Amino acid sequence: MANVSAFAGVDVGSLGTKTVILVDGEIAGYSILRTGINTEENGLHGLETALENAGLKREDLKYIVATGYGRISAPYADKTVTEITCHAKGAHYLHPQTRTIIDMGGQDCKAIRLDEDGNVTDFAMNDKCAAGTGRFLEVMANVFKVSLDELGPLSLRATEVLPVSSTCTVFAESETVSLLARGERPENIIIGIHHAIANRVGGMFSRVGIESDVFFSGGVAKNIGMRKALEDVLKVKIVEPKKDPQLVGAIGAAVIAQNSWKRGR
Amino acid sequence: MALKTLEIIKKRLEERPKEIEKARREGQKVVGWQGYNIPEEIIYALGLIPVRIGVGGDDRMVEIGARYISTKNCVFVRETVGLFAENNDPYVQNTDILAFDATCLQTYRTAEIIQYYFNKEVLILGVPRNFYWPEAKVYFTKEVEYFTRRLEKQAGKKLNYQILADTIGLYDRIRNAIVTIYTYQAAAGNYLSWEETYDLIHAGYYLDRREYLSLLEQVLAELREKQGQPFIEAVEGEARIFLSGSVLPPGDKKLIKIIQEVGGRIVGDDLWSGLIPYLDVKIPENSLQGLAVGYLNRTPHGALPYLDLDTDRRIKRLKELIQTFKAQGVIYHTLRYCDPYTFKAKETKDILQKEGIPLLEIHTEYAGSDFEAIRTRVEAFVEMLKNRYDEEVAV
Ligand code: SF4
Repeated sequence: MANVSAFAGVDVGSLGTKTVILVDGEIAGYSILRTGINTEENGLHGLETALENAGLKREDLKYIVATGYGRISAPYADKTVTEITCHAKGAHYLHPQTRTIIDMGGQDCKAIRLDEDGNVTDFAMNDKCAAGTGRFLEVMANVFKVSLDELGPLSLRATEVLPVSSTCTVFAESETVSLLARGERPENIIIGIHHAIANRVGGMFSRVGIESDVFFSGGVAKNIGMRKALEDVLKVKIVEPKKDPQLVGAIGAAVIAQNSWKRGR
Repeated sequence: MALKTLEIIKKRLEERPKEIEKARREGQKVVGWQGYNIPEEIIYALGLIPVRIGVGGDDRMVEIGARYISTKNCVFVRETVGLFAENNDPYVQNTDILAFDATCLQTYRTAEIIQYYFNKEVLILGVPRNFYWPEAKVYFTKEVEYFTRRLEKQAGKKLNYQILADTIGLYDRIRNAIVTIYTYQAAAGNYLSWEETYDLIHAGYYLDRREYLSLLEQVLAELREKQGQPFIEAVEGEARIFLSGSVLPPGDKKLIKIIQEVGGRIVGDDLWSGLIPYLDVKIPENSLQGLAVGYLNRTPHGALPYLDLDTDRRIKRLKELIQTFKAQGVIYHTLRYCDPYTFKAKETKDILQKEGIPLLEIHTEYAGSDFEAIRTRVEAFVEMLKNRYDEEVAV
């Protein structure tokens, strides 16, 4: 491609490194890789993979924005922006009517409120415990000896919601083991776990409020069971994402990269 | 940016513990105090040396304190107990008498613990729970009188009202100087940062108050010369932050550093370890009642209940100060187990939101483990504030 102006957003999260390449405001390529120990290398590797996916070269990139917890070691980026701002921009890009975001990532979850331009107006964040995070669901998937992707569909096959009272990873694990030992159906326990998380996440909205349209982002948003549980507990309709919800932060970062370059900073 | 006088103050603070030790050898007594409503003027007028005790930010000291006081108390009071348990702090070592007020019940508990475990002579000043009733005036006046009688016993002399009048004058000048310095730090083209101003306030916890006033006046003279007339205005690209909530005592710099690191500019506060105790103090007459009334009429401490949100002086003052310092957002700091301020966070947020002022609550303690988590929140808040001015991240 001659004279292409490409922009990259690199979101180095605790579990996954997501990269998005934007050309003329459209997503030209992306990558999702597992985050390893060296966050700088992860970011660079994500960038190369996404460029390859887009059929572009490093020289085509005019501006790079890094986000996520790994943004602090991203010397390849022209600028770093927090994941909170990036998720807002990303969700706005995919669905401009978004006013509330529930973001559930590998190690934290966030409630973000935004205005009609995709600017953050308020937010709350839970990173004190694993409740409502990908890590928590990974542990639970292990207990049931299924893959993470299977958890959501399994929960939809439940016949009743078994109450799981704890969202502390350690206690929830032992609670689950005892429920299984009691002979309860795994699907009913799994939906109970999803509801327990949704209740916990609901607590964040008592601080920031909730307004439609509601967008669900982050790796956990791929879990259809979690999405359904959130809709039931929060009594809201969650919009259908047009792209992989795990990419939202990286999309937002790429949008910011494009705008920053246009404005000359 | 540092002013010359700041260097002098730094040096004087290094020398001060030795000076106090010497004064004690020569027979003077030191009153270490903590709280919000102690009329320090009385201590000074009786020829006793007032020192405000209590530092923060040291998790090790908190652990030591927790051997004596329940972990369900805030880290500030746990660290205060730790200071007495370890007994290495020169000001703690050189305290003859302790004075605590009962504004926050956790500080009151601290006083009891220190008396019980470390055999310190402790004076408690009772504080009315409701500052707005006329009975509060009567009660607090009686408490101040009783407090004075006990201090007189320690000083071995009666309070001289001429000296008290001079002392009130001295303290009024200190208060005025601090308020004026705050205007300079918040102004455009400032030569003194908020953090330096905050340290300047804390210097006054230890230095002799007469010397302190002259140093403050020197700071002001330097500022007038360099900065001229202060003019407070919000500059494009700035994220002007107002700090509110639980105490940020000397030594607790975690949040301050984070705000600065991510590009925020602190321009004001209503912390009881900051500006608020120096505001709105009008002692109506040279008497103990005058002092009691003057202290009661200040903005009440957060540990006292809200009575009616619409008329509460704290909220009113908070809104005025945000305006005065042209702050764009509030970072509301709450310490774990500081119930007084934590309970008020949501109400304060809702009230300010109606005025279009965003508030970010940061709930923390002295351990460094939450540094990155706080950093992300504060950074996002700073981005949000900057974005209101500067559309660089707008679609
Ligand atoms: S008001 Fe809060 S921070 Fe201050 S002493 Fe009481 S509990 Fe601790």
